[in-house]
Amino acid sequence: MRKKLFVALVLGLMVVPFIMGTATAKTLKIGSMSPLTGPYASDGTDIKNGVLTAIQVFEEGGGIPGYDKIELFAQDTACDPKQAVAAANKLINLEVAGVVGAYCSSSTIPSSETLAEEDIPMLTPASTNEKVTDRGLPYMFRLCGRDDDQAPAAAKFLKESLKAKTIFIVDDKTTYSQGLADGVSKAAKALGMEVVDHDHVNQGDKDFAAVLTKAKRANADVFYMSLQGYSPGALMALQAKRIGMKSQIVTQDAMFQPKFMEVAKAAAEGVYLTYGFTDTTTPEYKAFEKIYVPKYGAIAAYATYAYDAATVLLKAIKASDSTDPKKIKAEIMKMEFDGVAKRIKFRANGDSGSSYIAYKIENGQFVPYWAPEQGLLQ
Amino acid sequence: MIQEFKKVWKPYTIGLLWLLGLLWPLLGIHPDGTLSFGNTFTVWLYIAAGTTICLLLYIMNKSGSLNAVSRPLAGLQETVGQASAKVPNWVWIVILLAAAFCYPFFTGRYAQDVATNVLIYVCLGLGLNVVVGLAGMLDLGYIAFYGVGAYTYALLNIHFGMSFWICLPFAAAFALTAGCIIGYPTLRMRGDYLAIVTLGFGEIVRILLNNWMSLTNGPNGLLGVKPPSILIPSFQGGISFEVFYLKKLHFLYYIALALAIVTIIAVRHLNFSRIGRAWESIREDETAAELMGVNTFKLKLLAYAMGALFAGLAGAFFCARMRFVSPESFTFLESAMVLSMVVLGGMGSIPGIILGAAALIVLPEVFREFETYRMLVFGMSMVVMMLFRPAGLIPAKRMGKRGEEGE
Amino acid sequence: MDYFIQQLINGITLGGLYALIALGYTMVYGVIQLINFAHGEIFATGGYVGVILLSFFTGLGYMETHPILCLAAAFVLTMGYCAFFAVGVEKVAYKPLRKQSRLAALLSALGMSIFLSNGLMLTQGVYDKAYPGELFQGGVDFGNITIGYLQMMIVGMTIFLLFGLNILVFKTKIGMAMRATAQDKVMSSLVSISSNRIISLTFAIGAGLAAAAGIMVGLYYGSVRYDMGFLPGIKAFAAAVLGGIGNITGAMLGGLIIGMVEIFGAGYISGQYKDVFAFIILISVLYFKPTGIMGENIDDTRV
Repeated sequence: MRKKLFVALVLGLMVVPFIMGTATAKTLKIGSMSPLTGPYASDGTDIKNGVLTAIQVFEEGGGIPGYDKIELFAQDTACDPKQAVAAANKLINLEVAGVVGAYCSSSTIPSSETLAEEDIPMLTPASTNEKVTDRGLPYMFRLCGRDDDQAPAAAKFLKESLKAKTIFIVDDKTTYSQGLADGVSKAAKALGMEVVDHDHVNQGDKDFAAVLTKAKRANADVFYMSLQGYSPGALMALQAKRIGMKSQIVTQDAMFQPKFMEVAKAAAEGVYLTYGFTDTTTPEYKAFEKIYVPKYGAIAAYATYAYDAATVLLKAIKASDSTDPKKIKAEIMKMEFDGVAKRIKFRANGDSGSSYIAYKIENGQFVPYWAPEQGLLQ
Repeated sequence: MIQEFKKVWKPYTIGLLWLLGLLWPLLGIHPDGTLSFGNTFTVWLYIAAGTTICLLLYIMNKSGSLNAVSRPLAGLQETVGQASAKVPNWVWIVILLAAAFCYPFFTGRYAQDVATNVLIYVCLGLGLNVVVGLAGMLDLGYIAFYGVGAYTYALLNIHFGMSFWICLPFAAAFALTAGCIIGYPTLRMRGDYLAIVTLGFGEIVRILLNNWMSLTNGPNGLLGVKPPSILIPSFQGGISFEVFYLKKLHFLYYIALALAIVTIIAVRHLNFSRIGRAWESIREDETAAELMGVNTFKLKLLAYAMGALFAGLAGAFFCARMRFVSPESFTFLESAMVLSMVVLGGMGSIPGIILGAAALIVLPEVFREFETYRMLVFGMSMVVMMLFRPAGLIPAKRMGKRGEEGE
Repeated sequence: MDYFIQQLINGITLGGLYALIALGYTMVYGVIQLINFAHGEIFATGGYVGVILLSFFTGLGYMETHPILCLAAAFVLTMGYCAFFAVGVEKVAYKPLRKQSRLAALLSALGMSIFLSNGLMLTQGVYDKAYPGELFQGGVDFGNITIGYLQMMIVGMTIFLLFGLNILVFKTKIGMAMRATAQDKVMSSLVSISSNRIISLTFAIGAGLAAAAGIMVGLYYGSVRYDMGFLPGIKAFAAAVLGGIGNITGAMLGGLIIGMVEIFGAGYISGQYKDVFAFIILISVLYFKPTGIMGENIDDTRV
């Protein structure tokens, strides 16, 4: 009895993956991968919403010839490499034309290897680690900037605009935050600034009292905060203000999320952050805003990049009139247009360049403050 | 049926009202100072309708109203059961093996990937079964050994270019050593004290992997690990060997299958050997076992080391398959997952654990269709499975009363 | 010296929070020997209900006029809510498994934990929820040392609740019944103590304390998040075991030690290894005293 039950159940479970994910005709399928559950679910949801907005805009603009509709298969990676690879394989089975994702660099890297085996284009809106595009995969594109672009820009800002001499750096030991913190540390030293300490906290921490007390004692000119996601960032800014730390807080693109001000409240005022320059006056941005905001709420960092990534993919499919990866790639490399987040033009390795500038938080808004070339913007 | 229903309707109604009371503050109180009832009620109605249907079916089944359907089914089951009882054991095993062997021919990438995952977790589950199911020690940090195995292969492969097959024994040996090192101080403790200490060790290993930049490259993980390879003789211009990398998913599936079969055979032999019996005696009553001349300390250490060994093998393969390894794969949640497979399948029962591993890997994949509701449904199904089969899906035959009680 | 005292204050605050959560673990463990993994999620639920209520009061405008009253109301209502919540969880997920192996209940608790944290995510959204206004953000300065009002409040509340709990457990009839149930369920039922009721009550009290911790965490850190229960849950579990699981005084001591070790580890050595220090202390204490600091004699048969 037991044996039979066992055999039947195992065979049954074997059949399950078969049945799942059957296709319907005349639908253009694209995939997205981002953490929809787990600690980074908020950023992952922003990415999914950005892609959905792009699809909506495209369908309202007449869609893609030859297809009735565009369907998104949003896969959850939970920021776990194993699940990311499973999601990538699932998307391959679904025969998607391209994938927008993933969020964590540690998910993007292994899953892009899997997608590369079947030559499926992958466009990441959020993974800033250099290794994402530096491995020479032919169909890997990146919409956001690179850590090694952002770090020098940040260091230059500290030196030229804030006239900082000493810096206290904190990161939370993720691929993204630590890579950036190391980069800033190196660039700052090269510019003659002194890094008084480089401390770490752990992912998921809420209490930063110990490290902030340390930073208060060090009393550096600048407190550089490199954390994955706005959530720990807001907590740290709030606690820093409470213990009366006098150093100027500077942080990075992960904090470009209006929720940062909502949580940190007054403590967010006067915080500087580096983020790719986004022109909020362009018609593209306005069009995006008009659809996104009523449906999903305030615009966050990764939503714009995800929107651009999906737009690039859909445009390329439309222009090449096929889902052949070679033709899509050829179209993507030809492309030059104003996206929502920035002007998009890809380089040979799949990067699309970046234009990091410094923003200042004033009255609960991100205000462009300083650019590497022009200096002060106000 | 009415009788049955009378017995349960009262607690059931109270339960539903209770749920409504708990749901409302979460959904019905708004920050602008207003209250609403509509949306809470809708959500609640869905839940109430769903559970009522399940309850009715359950009651009808119990009271025999569904006999028209269930009796022929039961009869069929009976006849099939009798027929299957006549078929010897090995036939079933052959059928299963054949099915497992042919599996990649009929399936796509995704199914193969999931199946490979299941096989890895079968190895892990069986390894943990030695510690928890046989020797009765609750281990919440088991995934650490898996991590040790994975990093051993990654480092040896990247720095010394050693192939997967040579690294396998190394990975096993390192994991085994780690098992002894961690096992030695913890074996004085019992029960939940042991659980928290193993949890602590598991976390320490993960934090070390995340922080030891020069060795493990920290959170960035190790890239560029080679997949398993075989040497193919080529006869052009004399005999030479070509290195052929087994990158394709179905090759990896077969390696995982081989690994899982080796693990199953090994654990089965351990289970039915002198050592296995000694472990079970420790699980049932440590004091009595010691009195009967079982060297409890040595055997407990051995159980720990054996468990670690299988995890090391699985880890090395995991790393070879992903061609990438980072500390995020070795969190406490993974340990909890493996433990769940063992308990859910049935402690000490090999087919049970295979089934448990399959269930806990396949279910979240099935629930992908639910998108954000995925883990919610998964958590619920874990509770429900435990409520209906508390001793596991296929409980072990040899499980004493004593170990179950835990007073 | 200033630095040391400041870190000490930080440590006491964090330790107090851990102690409050650890008490729930330890009480439940005391009566039914179950590691209640869902306890961390109850703590998170407390934080969420707190923010819901306080925002509601703010929306009505009461927060401006009677802040203390609103806060008190929020505490009482949240603690009550979470008590009911925990009893519901207990009846559904643990009670049917009471006669089964302890690992079955442990797994059910783990499933419940996953279920609840995802339930919170779905009902409350994936973004952090900010506590309204800037309640008690300031502090008192003594030279270089700052003691926040919130820190004082946390320590004060913690001491108050712990004191109250001690009286309840050691000085009242109910407490006596609880202790009796913890020692021997069969015997205690012979002297007409309803063990079902006592177990529910224990869950309710533990959850109430966790809920209080949840609101204080929300106020202190300014926001709550659906997954905030997981890590403190594990730390509090470690604290409960460190003190000797099942022992109320032990749990307080354990919480305080874990909090201190973390803060001093991060403050004097390195932030990235602070959890390692906490676990090393835990392991070495258990190595020399295998049943925790205030540990009882465990008998042999525990799995």
